[in-house]
Amino acid sequence: MQNISRRNFIKLTGVGAVAVAHSMTNYQPANAASPKPLPNGTPILVIVTLSGGNDGLNTVVPYSDPIYKSLRPQLAYKEDQVLPIGEGLALNSSMTGFKSLWDNKQLAIIRGVGYPNPDRSHFSSMAIWQSASRTPIKTGWIGRWIETQPENPFLAISLGSTMPALFQGNKRSGTVLPLSGLKTPSGMLASDLARTSKSTKSDGQLSATAARSVRDLFTVTGVVSPILKNPAPPAADLPTVVGGNAGGVSNLAQQFDVVAKLIAAGVPTRVWSVSLGGFDTHANELSAQSALLGTVSYSISKFMSQMRAIGRSRDVTIMVYSEFGRRVRANASDGTDHGTSGPVFVIGERVIGGFHGEQPPLSQLKDDDLAVTTDFRSVYGSVLEGVLYTPVDRVISGWNERLPLFTA
Amino acid sequence: MVVSTVERIAIARLVHRVGFGPKPGQFKKMLKMGFKASANQLLNSGMPDYGDVKTAIGITDLGAQPKPNDPALAPYNSAKRAQLRNMSLWWLDQMVDQELPFGERMTWFWHGHWATSYAKVDEPLVMFDHIARLRKNALGDFSQMCEEMILDGALVYWLDGQLNTAKSPNENLARELLELFTIGVNQYSENDVKEAAKALSGIRVVKNSGLVSKDVRRAWTGESTILGTTGYFESATLARFLSLTPACQNFIPERLSYRFISSASTMTDSLMKNSEQVKSLRLMKTAFKNRQVLPTMEALVMSPAFQDPINSQVKSPVEWLVSVLRALRITPSRCSQPDLLLLLLDTLGQRPFYPPSVGGWPADEAWLSVASSQTMIQAAQVIVAEGDLSSLTSVKKTERIDQLADWLGVAEWSNRTRIALQGAIADPARLVVLAICSPEYLVSA
Repeated sequence: MQNISRRNFIKLTGVGAVAVAHSMTNYQPANAASPKPLPNGTPILVIVTLSGGNDGLNTVVPYSDPIYKSLRPQLAYKEDQVLPIGEGLALNSSMTGFKSLWDNKQLAIIRGVGYPNPDRSHFSSMAIWQSASRTPIKTGWIGRWIETQPENPFLAISLGSTMPALFQGNKRSGTVLPLSGLKTPSGMLASDLARTSKSTKSDGQLSATAARSVRDLFTVTGVVSPILKNPAPPAADLPTVVGGNAGGVSNLAQQFDVVAKLIAAGVPTRVWSVSLGGFDTHANELSAQSALLGTVSYSISKFMSQMRAIGRSRDVTIMVYSEFGRRVRANASDGTDHGTSGPVFVIGERVIGGFHGEQPPLSQLKDDDLAVTTDFRSVYGSVLEGVLYTPVDRVISGWNERLPLFTA
Repeated sequence: MVVSTVERIAIARLVHRVGFGPKPGQFKKMLKMGFKASANQLLNSGMPDYGDVKTAIGITDLGAQPKPNDPALAPYNSAKRAQLRNMSLWWLDQMVDQELPFGERMTWFWHGHWATSYAKVDEPLVMFDHIARLRKNALGDFSQMCEEMILDGALVYWLDGQLNTAKSPNENLARELLELFTIGVNQYSENDVKEAAKALSGIRVVKNSGLVSKDVRRAWTGESTILGTTGYFESATLARFLSLTPACQNFIPERLSYRFISSASTMTDSLMKNSEQVKSLRLMKTAFKNRQVLPTMEALVMSPAFQDPINSQVKSPVEWLVSVLRALRITPSRCSQPDLLLLLLDTLGQRPFYPPSVGGWPADEAWLSVASSQTMIQAAQVIVAEGDLSSLTSVKKTERIDQLADWLGVAEWSNRTRIALQGAIADPARLVVLAICSPEYLVSA
């Protein structure tokens, strides 16, 4: 069972697809119920979750620090194996796309990001990052933002098959779009389901939400399905790496392609969520992590290139985070165990490129782990205000700090 | 027979929330018996004696995992998958097949309470024993349950209890024992967590058998002070001690109320605004004074809050699927595509043995999304195609909509849904798909 992909469920059921093919490139509102296209100039946020806990020290590498070499001799990169970016730090050699973004001042690296008193569990760390709360609550920070906005099933879309905690609101949540697209029944059943999902005054809050989720399925499918048949926007100015671009067919690249198609078509979505797993590198870390980071770097550079091609590159901001960094000292299996802080990347043309926050000093480890020098909520604060134009304390109560990440 | 809407709602709640939905004819029978008699029958249905399930379905100790290049690895992995599949289907079978599945309903509740996942435990036998331990104590003495669970191999391993030594403490198990299992958040200090971790230190777990032992060389042997009480605490004494605190007498009724009555408001909120809730919770807390689960559930079901129209709940994917299978007389392990059912639950985000975190599964709105609607509608078509629809086809078309409500245990259809059902009256399969995907069925009103 665990090796059957979730996406296969629809295939296995053998129930046919019904989406009607249109050959339109741009989405045109067909009737009053359809959403208006997102106006050019509206900021769009893409959140990239790297799950498993990315090893920040081999992503933004302190290659010249002797402590780095001595604590992880088999795992330490040498100067000629990395892409130096100043202050004794370098990007992992697989991140050539990120290096170009850095050189163009479109990559902000926020160093030492984490939450207070790290507990090193995947589950609680991810829950804390996604909820922006140190104590367990059921809503995600984007979910709470959704509830500050007018109702719109396109407002926030997560690629995948289940709702990430990130998108969970109290009453309204984001929309989940499987990578394979959505399929709805046809004919009589479709028109009957449209009737059973009508809103009615007699519905309580939960029944109203249940009805809405079926209604939204038809609305979203109707808009999205024809668009997904379009080719992805071209990435004309993306340099081709000799021997092909690493990660070109990865799942993350596919998720980004879907996002690019839908943005190109003008779907009114302000927040997107994509994700990549596999960062829990307890063993044989070097090659595995490098391949994953190559995928991240390539997918994002290609996406930015696509956004340039369609004239949306100034609108888009990408934020990349993982639930924790990893232990400084290598373990006995050429990997690293769960750690604390790590770098967060924020990418875009409106971003103030360069380093933000302090690099946690390797000479001052706390319980063998990196210190947290930047609270993750400060990054959210900047993104909420700089991209989503929402005061931070409306989403993260009692929080008021932010970083200078965006040009005015 | 005319039954008031209030009574229909109460009985629909009883059969869906305290059971797993009605079998064909069961809801009508309960309407005849009335709420109180039906509740008493269900609550006192006990836990069946399953005999030696492990032998029957082939759950064994698979030994240590072979090394990556060992030819024994492939058969080991397939045996593991087969065992997990068997025990998943076996459990779903019990939920579906039993006439009065209250015992399994409670076992399911406790699975979400002591939420431990196969994802980390990775041993079918150890997870099977974990659930068996919950089942054994599901209706009985909560203190006894705490004593047994704190030394349960799956739970200890899941929360890194075997890494917790006097010299190098790991507070994971101690923290969750306090926060999620016995007394609740804000009822203890960080120092209580540290002291509890000392009391729980030195436990070893054999990964493949779940066998737990105490290694005194790794354990704290001194006294510890927990919630102001100093003594020589060990795992079992600590768990029992916590279960007997006043905080626990509040916490467990609150958790039961969250899952069986409403997740909408925390009890502290409702204490201020809803007197029905206050009264109901007080009744439950009194009933829990001897830490017995069954009387607490009786108090819950008989409380005014259980019948209060405001307290609706969304069926979780397991609740939805099991209630559909019960109505359609489909036994999971004997249907044409058992793996599809497991995949369905996985896709919807609620597979038995796989809670998403130690906090258990989410509730209500979390189960409603565009993606879950799509999956459910697809699944409904496949399942209905192989179900027994005779409850419906045996009555005249004009009676089918009311029959559908009685068969499925729906209190009442909204006008909107009634109109849609009317349009499908001549097509029983479509009628049932519509009904089980309707807001009235997805939500226990």
